[in-house]
Amino acid sequence: MSLTRSTLWVGQSLPRVDAPGKVTGETQYSGDLSMPGMLQMKILFAGRPHARVVKIDTTQAEAAPGVVAIFTAKDVPVNEYGLQWNDQPVLCGRGQGEKGSRVAPDVVRFIGDQVAIVVAETEKAAAHARDLIHVEYEELPAVFDPLAAMQPGAPLVHPELGDTNICVHDRLRKGDVEAGFAKAEVIVESEYFTPVQEHAYLQPEAGLAYIDEEGRVTIKAGGQWTHTDRAQIAHALGVSDEEVRVIYPAIGGAFGGREDMSVQIVLALAAWRLDQLGVRRPVKIVWSRKESIIGHCKRHPMRLRAKWGASKDGKLVAAETEIIADGGAYMYTSNKVLGNTTITSTGPYFIPNLKTDVYGVYTNNIPSAAFRGFGAPQALFMAEMQMDKLAEKLGLDTVEMRRRNALRDGDTLGVGTPVPGPVSILHCIEAAAQHAGWEKEPDGWRNVKRENVQPANLKRGRGFACGFKNVGFSFGYKENSWARVELHGDEEIEGVVAAHAGAEVGQGTHTVMVQMVAEAVGVPLEKVTLMTSDSAGMGNPGSASASRMTLMAGNALKGAAEAALAKWEAEERPAIAEYTYRAPETTPFDKESGYSTPNFAYAYVAQAVELEVDTETGFIKILRVVSADDVGQAINPALVEGQIEGGVVQAQGYALMENFITRDGYVLTDQLSTYLIPTILDIPDAVDSVIVEVPSPIGPWGARGLGELPFLPLAAAIAAAVHDATGVWFDELPLTPERVLRGLGKI
Amino acid sequence: MTINTHPTLPEFEYVRPETLAEASEFLTRYPGEARPFLGGTDIFVRMRDGLITPNFLVDVKKLDGTNDLRFEPQAGLTLGAAVNMNRVIASREVQAHYPLLAEACRSVASYQLRTRATVVGNICNASPAGDTIGACLVFNGVLHIHEVNGLRQEPLAEFFLGPGKTTLKPGDIVTAIHLPLPPKGCAGVYLKLGRNKLSDLSLVGVTALGHPDPSLPSGYRFRLALASVAPVPLVPTQAETYLANQPITPETIREAAHLAAEACAPIDDLRGSARYRKEMVRNLSAKALSEVWEKLK
Repeated sequence: MSLTRSTLWVGQSLPRVDAPGKVTGETQYSGDLSMPGMLQMKILFAGRPHARVVKIDTTQAEAAPGVVAIFTAKDVPVNEYGLQWNDQPVLCGRGQGEKGSRVAPDVVRFIGDQVAIVVAETEKAAAHARDLIHVEYEELPAVFDPLAAMQPGAPLVHPELGDTNICVHDRLRKGDVEAGFAKAEVIVESEYFTPVQEHAYLQPEAGLAYIDEEGRVTIKAGGQWTHTDRAQIAHALGVSDEEVRVIYPAIGGAFGGREDMSVQIVLALAAWRLDQLGVRRPVKIVWSRKESIIGHCKRHPMRLRAKWGASKDGKLVAAETEIIADGGAYMYTSNKVLGNTTITSTGPYFIPNLKTDVYGVYTNNIPSAAFRGFGAPQALFMAEMQMDKLAEKLGLDTVEMRRRNALRDGDTLGVGTPVPGPVSILHCIEAAAQHAGWEKEPDGWRNVKRENVQPANLKRGRGFACGFKNVGFSFGYKENSWARVELHGDEEIEGVVAAHAGAEVGQGTHTVMVQMVAEAVGVPLEKVTLMTSDSAGMGNPGSASASRMTLMAGNALKGAAEAALAKWEAEERPAIAEYTYRAPETTPFDKESGYSTPNFAYAYVAQAVELEVDTETGFIKILRVVSADDVGQAINPALVEGQIEGGVVQAQGYALMENFITRDGYVLTDQLSTYLIPTILDIPDAVDSVIVEVPSPIGPWGARGLGELPFLPLAAAIAAAVHDATGVWFDELPLTPERVLRGLGKI
Repeated sequence: MTINTHPTLPEFEYVRPETLAEASEFLTRYPGEARPFLGGTDIFVRMRDGLITPNFLVDVKKLDGTNDLRFEPQAGLTLGAAVNMNRVIASREVQAHYPLLAEACRSVASYQLRTRATVVGNICNASPAGDTIGACLVFNGVLHIHEVNGLRQEPLAEFFLGPGKTTLKPGDIVTAIHLPLPPKGCAGVYLKLGRNKLSDLSLVGVTALGHPDPSLPSGYRFRLALASVAPVPLVPTQAETYLANQPITPETIREAAHLAAEACAPIDDLRGSARYRKEMVRNLSAKALSEVWEKLK
């Protein structure tokens, strides 16, 4: 697995390039920005799940002290937006913007829909005026349960889009499921429930908008993909992309939650309309935590039903799966998320006969969208639990069961085409198992049992689970990423200026980019300057998502560096080259069978968990997590470990603690004191990162992707360990102390 | 539905009177508008969330005696209102004579917060979840209150009227809590269950104190105080009386824990169900009493 040549910078655990600024507090996040003459903005949220805006009266608010302007639907040129479909109004209400709009702009479809914006001299004045806006609503019947929303006659969230709330239906049909089950020695049928998860990034949404020196509406607000932010803003304003500029300041976490719009379009609208009124002043907004929690998307909650069969020798023979996901009020990225749920619902295993149906359903809940793992954690919770239950019925060790079914090179996936190789799930399984204390014996892997030396109420258990996921965009998207490299100097290269607009959301991508540029050009790290995240003058980077940035940006920067070096050789000074890396092509699902080549690369992970269940309180303490992640080539091993530890902790919160409670579309856990995430005292005693490096043939220096991997299998590994400790299967997350005690029959 | 909270604090006027009399007078002049202000760890959160909108915060931290942490071998401990919890935890006298109080303080939020948070503030907040209230109750704490007409003393056991409600009237300022000398040979424990280990409010909190008492049939007196299971911090007297009259055994401890669980009236809320809380009172009371008994034996 070693590199074919020795490397200077790739593979080194170097300090982050953004560390000094962040540690000293010099770095500015969106909320820290300020400009002379800046105005403050507040948003009036609908605060109701389903209603029609009948009338908006702003007279009183406009007369309030300090108010500069109030904007509503009538000020939005094209009142619709969306990353996948334009099914959401920018501001709910009637106005000029419904021309050509696919959806009724005057309908509120969840509590976080925006109705009006107030721009004022101070935050207090803006808030005061916002509360003086009178909106008359006609309440509409709402639907909150996706199963009820699927029924004929259910209230429709988007009646103009069709006579059903089902907005996604993916199917896999492979082999003959009935014939497959006929060969099964054991069959396991179960129903699983996975919860909503809030991104809970440290930095709530915030931003600043102004007209730049070239007259462009400029928005400084954290996001994940400069160019789609820009496209959505431009669409709503009815202007060209070039008239809008998106710049990313430092971003305090994203995890998928910043892929869709929050404050960007309304900020742009405010600065742009003010300018037309002769007021050229910057506009700023900072959301409170409550506004953030009701105002941005969440992880899809799902109900997953599975019937899986295995032969006597532990080989999977057939799987029938039905998954229903709550998409919430708007599409956001549900179609892509659920496509990924569909693919990963087999686990990283070969299953010859498949029948899979995955539905996404509109409801009047907060929209569901991207969140680290992008639909895979839910599917893998189901798949991995099925594997454990089958193993138990067959009397097989859980690791051995997985080894027997793991995808091998040349195997076909559920979509009917071979998995792009090399497939490394077996490497991950063996690395994690060995590290966690399983032993390889002639007849297979065995979990070495330990004595329980704890007090009687503390039960220890061990669990194991696997995961896999695409790296890069899927389903026929022309996946690409742009970069520019400039080589300055005369006799020798004195300075390298690299440009890539990929978002640094805390994962360390800028550091990795600098390392890869220095490596590609062959210069010391200090010579590299990185220009980042400005849609003006930079090509499309693609999103900081799908675990793709290292692979895509790395190939783009490497290509640009090589082209620049060629020009350097040809005596060009400075030598400047742009390069767009284009990934291998993919194809969308066939509607009936799912047949496709949906992805060009995958990455793999296996995890083992050791934990302790307190059978008196129901609390679970994670003692150790072993996470073996195949990253192809670790560009910066310390950052890889950071990503693994962060992913594990976030997944631990998902599995055990994070309990998002809503009632009729209203969020009851709308603060971080009611919606809890793990603290430093709650995290595992130890996280052992095992970095597996099976190079990808298309990755830069063999790198695959990482960001989502460590999140994927943890919930299933925890549930397996709880079963090992208590003998009880828990098929619903999160495993709160109460749920555990109920499962144990104690309350 | 309140979703439009402030990312920062709303505006208010900070008032720092020179004397207690001046402070009481100001608070009386602006009832409902002015509030006494100690560490602010609760007030600021509630102001940010728009739950309260005081125009004046009256800082009483520099006033007579509010900074005193004084132990008198004949009288006991007097804890000024402005003494923060980290000072309580670090005090040698508290550690020596009231380790239970230090333990309870340590369970509150995080170190940073405890630099601001005070025991008296925790009491005046009158949250049933208050972590330090139980220790003050089982030590028979007495509040020193400055009012417009002078001073009064009030037993802590009679202070709480409901969630957030106390006997305090406008102009009243609690200047200190006094804990009498601890009973000879006592041992105590505070067990707190929160959804996380660092910052959550108690889902259930159990304070237990025990000491030898030859006047009782069992030879020992046990005190219990329960957090987060009733509208006010709760003392389950039936359980205490039971252990005063029965020989102390694992069985009688279990029965006392059962009586404690029966005495509480928890609610269902976002943090947990009433059913779970009741069960936890049973388990944690049994555990707390057993641990205390182990220390006494």
